[in-house]
Amino acid sequence: MTTLRPFEKESTREFDYVGQRTVRVDGLEKVSGAARYVDDLDFGPDLLHAEIVESPHANALIKAIDTSAAEAVPGVTKVVTGADFPFKFGLYMKDRYVFAQDRVRFVGEQVAAVIARDPKVAKRAAKLIDVSYEELLPIFDPIEALKPDAELIHPDLGSYTHVPWFYPHEDTNVAHWRKTRKGDIEQGFAEADVVLEDEYTVPRYAHCAIEPHVIVGLYDQSGRLTMWSASQSPYTQRHLFAEALAPLGLTHKDVRVITPYVGGGFGGKAGVSMEIMGAAIATAVKGHPVKIRFTREQEFYNTYQRQGLVAHIKMGVKNDGTITAIEHIMNWDAGAYVEYGANVVNAAGLSATGPYRVPNVWIDSKCIYTNLPPGGPYRGFGYSEFMFGLESHVDRVAEAIGMDPVEFRRKNAIREGDILAYGAEMNPSGLIEAIDRTAAAIEWGKKETSDDPNKAIGKGFAVFWKAPAMPPNASSASFLKFNEDGSMNITVSGMELGQGYLTAMAQIAGEVLSVPPSKIRVETPDTDRNPYEWQTVASHVTWSCGNAVHAAAVEAREKIFDVVHRVHGYEEESLYLEDESVRSSTDPDFKLPLRDFVIEGLEAPDGTFKGGPIVGSGTFMPEFTSTSSDPETSQGGHPNVHYTVGAAGVVLEVDRETGRMKVKKVALAVDVGKAINPSLIEGQITGGIVQGLATVLYEDMRFSEKGKLMNANFTDYKIPTAHDIPDETIPIIIEVGQPDGPFGARGVGEHTMIPAAPIIGNAIKDALGIRITSMPITAEKVALSVMKEQASEGDET
Amino acid sequence: MRTDVSVTINGEPWLLAVESNDVLLETLRSKVGVKSPKIGCERGDCGTCTVLLDGHTVRSCLVLSVEVDGHEVVTLEGLDDEGLTELQQFFVDMNSFQCGFCAPGIVLAAAELLEENSRPSREEVQEAIGGNLCRCTGYDPIIDAVLAAADAGGRATQ
Amino acid sequence: MTIAQVFDYQRPESLEQAVQMLAEHGGDVRVLAGGTDLVAWLRDEAVAPDLLVDIKQIEGLGEISDEGDAVSIGSLVTFTDVINSGLVAARLPLVSEMSATVASVGIRNRATLVGNICSAVPSCDAGPPLLVHGAIVHTFGRAGARQIPIDDWFLGPRETALAPGEIVTKVVIPVPPGGHGAAFVRLSRYEGEDLAQASVAIVAPADHRFRVAFGAVAATPMRARRIESLLEGKALDPTLVAEAIALVSEEISPISDIRASKEFRLRMSEVMLQRGLKAAVERLEGNGPSYGTNLM
Ligand code: FES
Ligand code: FES
Repeated sequence: MTTLRPFEKESTREFDYVGQRTVRVDGLEKVSGAARYVDDLDFGPDLLHAEIVESPHANALIKAIDTSAAEAVPGVTKVVTGADFPFKFGLYMKDRYVFAQDRVRFVGEQVAAVIARDPKVAKRAAKLIDVSYEELLPIFDPIEALKPDAELIHPDLGSYTHVPWFYPHEDTNVAHWRKTRKGDIEQGFAEADVVLEDEYTVPRYAHCAIEPHVIVGLYDQSGRLTMWSASQSPYTQRHLFAEALAPLGLTHKDVRVITPYVGGGFGGKAGVSMEIMGAAIATAVKGHPVKIRFTREQEFYNTYQRQGLVAHIKMGVKNDGTITAIEHIMNWDAGAYVEYGANVVNAAGLSATGPYRVPNVWIDSKCIYTNLPPGGPYRGFGYSEFMFGLESHVDRVAEAIGMDPVEFRRKNAIREGDILAYGAEMNPSGLIEAIDRTAAAIEWGKKETSDDPNKAIGKGFAVFWKAPAMPPNASSASFLKFNEDGSMNITVSGMELGQGYLTAMAQIAGEVLSVPPSKIRVETPDTDRNPYEWQTVASHVTWSCGNAVHAAAVEAREKIFDVVHRVHGYEEESLYLEDESVRSSTDPDFKLPLRDFVIEGLEAPDGTFKGGPIVGSGTFMPEFTSTSSDPETSQGGHPNVHYTVGAAGVVLEVDRETGRMKVKKVALAVDVGKAINPSLIEGQITGGIVQGLATVLYEDMRFSEKGKLMNANFTDYKIPTAHDIPDETIPIIIEVGQPDGPFGARGVGEHTMIPAAPIIGNAIKDALGIRITSMPITAEKVALSVMKEQASEGDET
Repeated sequence: MRTDVSVTINGEPWLLAVESNDVLLETLRSKVGVKSPKIGCERGDCGTCTVLLDGHTVRSCLVLSVEVDGHEVVTLEGLDDEGLTELQQFFVDMNSFQCGFCAPGIVLAAAELLEENSRPSREEVQEAIGGNLCRCTGYDPIIDAVLAAADAGGRATQ
Repeated sequence: MTIAQVFDYQRPESLEQAVQMLAEHGGDVRVLAGGTDLVAWLRDEAVAPDLLVDIKQIEGLGEISDEGDAVSIGSLVTFTDVINSGLVAARLPLVSEMSATVASVGIRNRATLVGNICSAVPSCDAGPPLLVHGAIVHTFGRAGARQIPIDDWFLGPRETALAPGEIVTKVVIPVPPGGHGAAFVRLSRYEGEDLAQASVAIVAPADHRFRVAFGAVAATPMRARRIESLLEGKALDPTLVAEAIALVSEEISPISDIRASKEFRLRMSEVMLQRGLKAAVERLEGNGPSYGTNLM
């Protein structure tokens, strides 16, 4: 039972709409069944369907492809292969082709596609495509891939284009190596009273948005390409489509991406993955709309996966609890293509100290090619992965010096103005408050026992942080227009992924213009109409696009004041908005409803009209960021806009015999700067915790020794059901304002799943005395560890 | 093999020509134009394709279209022709859903529960929606709304 | 991904008509009831039938009836029907308890108990309870009706004693004479819907002639006869239970797969036996945990 309450109007003194538990602007559509997702759009009887032919091998050369039998099947419109599209693409590094060219690098990689009007025909014909392969030895283990004699998965790595802040190592399997160095690491360890090191492993995970990826493309007779895409990144998709298909003569203005509601993303629908096939295929069947809808199986093995991690952590501390040094070596299993995933590695490499003051830092974060499916963005963007090891390790270090782990975290917690590992300053942060309130919520320090003699109860604690990982020039834009009745339409190109972004934007604009969010429609993106947004990732849209919407609203307000000044003579400084009306501080009787003039203008005494339709536009780019830094140390730039921080704690009951775990209580405090809508933030906390707990308790990708994903379905890749939730969830919202955020807000979407893994690992240790250093920590793993422990105790006595 | 199937969908009689390998979920979406049952896994694991078949929730991805000849199918669109049920209003008011993709299945599963059990316990709500996967919400805001609707005496359908 | 393979479909109105269709059709014919396994298999191309014979239109297969010393469950009875049956709850609480653990509501509303034993996957939930109750599977074919004891039913994974051309009409489940306690314990990866990684069904009759069967730890659900004879007629005490647990590794031969390791399945089967025996005896004595309590 959470403390979530039904929507109720709470009075806040400061704001009318910001900070309110506003009902979602998309709620009615979604609960009534009216909401349309890409697969729900109708394209008429001309719609074609494409079935993808995939590689059965993890590493092989393509010797020949015979498509003739498939082409001969009645009803098949077209068969395409890599030869039709020798085009490279990629977000940060161009290391992929639309379809495999002469080589496949993971099981499931796209080799060809069969297009037919009837999807059944396409599916049957796809089986007739005969591809001859010459198998090569695959590499699945990133540590193996690092060996000097390892076969090269991308022999041409040295020639790939990439963003300037990536450092590929030619003639190795290291696609990018982020090095962060601060202070003197050896000196730091020398100063320590205790130095502890260990290794932590994290497997791959799947996003499992319930809506699979769907793309529909229409390359019309006039040569314009329209794509309907279930995407987090309409503009980035447009850019990558235009870039990859430029050889066909397409330019940005010819490409249009339309994104209606999206059924969950979690990073899986960021950038461009399967959608590139849709764009390319559309050009091959000019004049006909063509759809690719991924099956749940494909969803697992050929979109993005969360990357695996092998992390080695060495930490030095003084007996008084001061951290003197952290060495964090992260070897990432990034998969066959890293065009997006390399940036996850980069982000982790900048921030793997965690939210601590650390004078001496040595971080190596290596993006390693393997013959597993491409890694990529996943809610948490590397932080969930490395924080498992780091926050497990912090507990152990505290224990080693006999200090309470919460006190240890409090002592070392990073504060505003502290110098980060790469030299920039830490933003304002409520970390200490988060630690204290979380500890209180789970009654930290109070030992609990179960009534059931088989069961033990443990408590676990962790802190977390995360910064948006973005290029330094990632930006947002917004257009706003009034309607005759004083209602508004706002266009933006961030995506409503479920987080409540449209509602938050309505609240921000509504606050500035005194219009209730229920009178504001915020449109989902269409790149022909809505202005630019980089992507809806990185937990940045509330902050970044919120600033753009705020700017658009302010511009509209200025136009309103200008016309009122011109017609009614009040000084602009005296004017303000209240209850959808213009008021003046110098004339309490003046009240001019917006609806009276926001379209039709104001009539001047001479009978002419002034003003006209009120519109506003706003943009935002964080002009203080930079990625130009020393590649050997990362010193010198300002790669991150800000960190959102917080803490989480759990009360966990464990059955010693079965290993079965029950979350009795979980508390999570996060500093959101300013809660634009507390109800939506609680939604992020409740949902994020459950998603995070699943990664530690049972989710896990299992590959065969040939590199085939064995559990590419919900039968064997278990995601939480309504039965698998904590007994009690306590969301704690902390508001230490972000100076450059809209009303002080900063992002929160990803953060809530980051601490889930270490709190469980730490609680297991507390309950059973057993430290597990590899994820997931399944019931099976716990039970077998207890058995082993009992057996070895038996041996000793 | 092509067969004519006569079936009542959301209260209206339909005569549909279907193949024996057509699945109800696809027929509803592409031939009837009812879009609320969603395609999530096509093997019975996620519940997002849920419809009411003769008043009970089933996975429409596991039903062949030929099987519903002579039966009655209700989707979220047909739950209440007056507008929203009280249950749905609670879901809206309590911001229960996020991306909303699971909503059609969960609303129907909860409606079936409240039809049969007007005062369910929290565990009974969990059991009723236990086959409907939601990746966004952590379920609490959904369960809370079902319980609130039951408390308010809201009947799922009227 | 749609179902791409092609097959015919027929819907007989009587058993006679159905068996005629089965007999006349030369190729691979499958009986369709709830379809929750079959339709998924069709999509995955795990089966390739030429014809589906949908038996849902046949009268008389949907009944649960009291046969005095037994309860009969027709082949169209769904798991939801079983859960809602007061008769089953009163006389065969083990079968109710098991049924409530199967999948989730939307599946149970359609999936039939008989279909579950016809699919006959190793993790089949209905297998162990029917084994411990000594159920009889009634079939009908061109050669007439047959009664197959459940002990002879499961031949291998997805393989049963049902002969080509036959249809199961019902399963008759004897009620142990006198009162009895029972327990169905199931291992899964989490609280939610999951295939059993191991299961155990136990009947503890008044005379303590215990019946024990395991699921998902061998090619088919199986009786644990050595454990049964060890326990027969005795009062359970910790030593006896420990002896019974020691026999588990001799009775079962679990495998390692992506769902669970052999080691874990074995160890959990021991725990399940221990907890199940305790609960079954307590229930026999009228003071156990209520049926439906998850003992794991
Ligand atoms: S689509 Fe039917 S259960 Fe997932
Ligand atoms: S709200 Fe997104 S899956 Fe439920």
